[in-house]
Amino acid sequence: MAIDDLTEVVSTDVLIIGGGIGGLVTAVKAKEANPDIDVLVVEKQTAGWAGKATKIGGILAFLGPDKKEDKFLDFQVRNSGFYLNDQDLLIKYLKSTFQAIEDFQNWGAKLARTPDGKLVSIPTFYAPELSSTFIDIDLMLPIRARARKLGTKFLDKIHVVELLKSDNKIIGAVGFNIVTGQFYVFKAKATVLANGSCGYKVRRFWVAGTGDGIAAAYRAGAEMRNAEYGNLYGHTVWKDTDSGMVGYQYLVNAKGENLAKKYLPNEGPTGVFLPVPLAIGLEKEIAEGRGPIYYAPPPGNQGYNKEGLPKITAWTRRMAEKEMKYGLPPGTRREIEVPLHGETSCVKVDHEMRTSLEGLWAIGDTSYAGSAVAGAVCSPPGIVPGSGIMFAVISAAWAGPSAAHYAAGTDFGKDLSAQGIKDIQESILQPLKRSKGIPPGDVIAALQEVTAPIKFNLRRSRERLNQALAVIENLKNQLPELQAKDFHYLSKCHEVNSMVLCAELTYRAALMREESRGSHYREDFPQRNDKDWLKWIIIKQQNGKMSLSTQSVPIEKYQIKPEVQQK
Amino acid sequence: MKTTQNWVKQINIDLTRCKGCKTCVNACFVDVLRWDEDQKKPVVAYPEDCVWCLACEAACPAECIEVVPVIPAPLRSSYY
Repeated sequence: MAIDDLTEVVSTDVLIIGGGIGGLVTAVKAKEANPDIDVLVVEKQTAGWAGKATKIGGILAFLGPDKKEDKFLDFQVRNSGFYLNDQDLLIKYLKSTFQAIEDFQNWGAKLARTPDGKLVSIPTFYAPELSSTFIDIDLMLPIRARARKLGTKFLDKIHVVELLKSDNKIIGAVGFNIVTGQFYVFKAKATVLANGSCGYKVRRFWVAGTGDGIAAAYRAGAEMRNAEYGNLYGHTVWKDTDSGMVGYQYLVNAKGENLAKKYLPNEGPTGVFLPVPLAIGLEKEIAEGRGPIYYAPPPGNQGYNKEGLPKITAWTRRMAEKEMKYGLPPGTRREIEVPLHGETSCVKVDHEMRTSLEGLWAIGDTSYAGSAVAGAVCSPPGIVPGSGIMFAVISAAWAGPSAAHYAAGTDFGKDLSAQGIKDIQESILQPLKRSKGIPPGDVIAALQEVTAPIKFNLRRSRERLNQALAVIENLKNQLPELQAKDFHYLSKCHEVNSMVLCAELTYRAALMREESRGSHYREDFPQRNDKDWLKWIIIKQQNGKMSLSTQSVPIEKYQIKPEVQQK
Repeated sequence: MKTTQNWVKQINIDLTRCKGCKTCVNACFVDVLRWDEDQKKPVVAYPEDCVWCLACEAACPAECIEVVPVIPAPLRSSYY
């Protein structure tokens, strides 16, 4: 490609977009599968530190080597995925979980151990056969070291904005350095999206998830699936710090009424993530003047024990000291909030994490919902914690060798014209060229007005979904006016573009699904409707428009079927 | 029009104690800290994007960084 001097062209066999846990493991697995191929990881921040996995350490849920997947499969499909799972993929996933635990140990990541050196393995709440362990906060650095030792190349501080497509095949990507502005064209035989889900920058530790890969894949023509399940309200947290994760069983209103008993009268506890009726109940308590919401646990209630993980222990202590020093005065009763996680992760993939576009893979939080592994819940799936890092690592272990194999047997695609690249560059740099315009922070705040509230994103109805979509349409009209004062803010402008698109995908799918299932609740269609809706909603861009269709879940070939299949 | 609010009040780096290892800049997952190539020291470039994850503080071998959070946090409520 003959392009001007301002553009650097980099060629690689396998291009991995995102240097979080998923991207690093993809690199390791691709190089292990074929040491002769070139692997390049491009990261918006710094590979090994980026993304979500290094923020709070992690829970890893797995099936021990002596366990079979049948019982958990039955539990997950009936209670969490509500028959929208790709059950074959869920079985493949469960069979891979213990290997992932072994891989972590082989890479040198620190897992929680008992005083006599055994792997900590505790039952995972109410999920049959599943065990959990914990991993330290610096889990990614040994994996980055391993990837580097195998010959992986890294380029940091590069925001990849668009995928390049030629002859209906993905042939690489373009982006820019968020510090220097250097524009890059990446020519690749195989491209892997590993840059996370979209959380609309509502929560502290999830601000990096802006759906850049999802948006780029959509614009390139890739199919999306389960976009309506991008509405996770998973955690009950301290409102003043957006931290902690307290048990929902002990939430009370200002009058001291237990709200789990009030809104979940017939249910025992089902897990750690907030059930939909209770989330809607909390909204009602506030609306009817019985707020704030507080946490009132019985005496002696203990959280997780993460002994044996020195970094996470030190970090937790540091965080607690900070909250003590700068937080609310001692004795203040702390309120509880249930902030939006989002976790839009709708890139549709097959069992090797191939997207619907040749030459493009999507892993981890770009394709968690889109893989349909978890069914009718957001990622991480509704009931069981410990699947976020695990799905990233396991899907990477599938995608890495698949992409490496493909790259070894193909050529670089036909180059785009120099003018074509110039046009893309021009479009990406537009916000920088405006002397006046809308700052990206304004659009983020406006977008949060319709993505964060339960009344739009969890207690859904045709009327409110249309209201939200009207706001989104208005924001879309403002996107061409975004203004960036430098390359950092240019990156933010493109994050805003991605987030607005992810919100539209979520709400268009939510409007189409006229039933309630899992974390998709429609006030105007409150029942699950297996007769009409054992279907996945597929979205793709066609002729510049968002086109929605459905695909039947092949329930007849799956092991777990609804008890009474409505005819 | 509303805009996003800051999660931190201040980020203090004691440059007299800073060893210039750049770990804090690498540790930041939202591009708050930048690297001054001339001085070989970190610069607090975009404090408005800091969410006090404390990765920089915890990673600094000289313990010369202090992040001061805004509490109560500007967390967008789900209730309304």
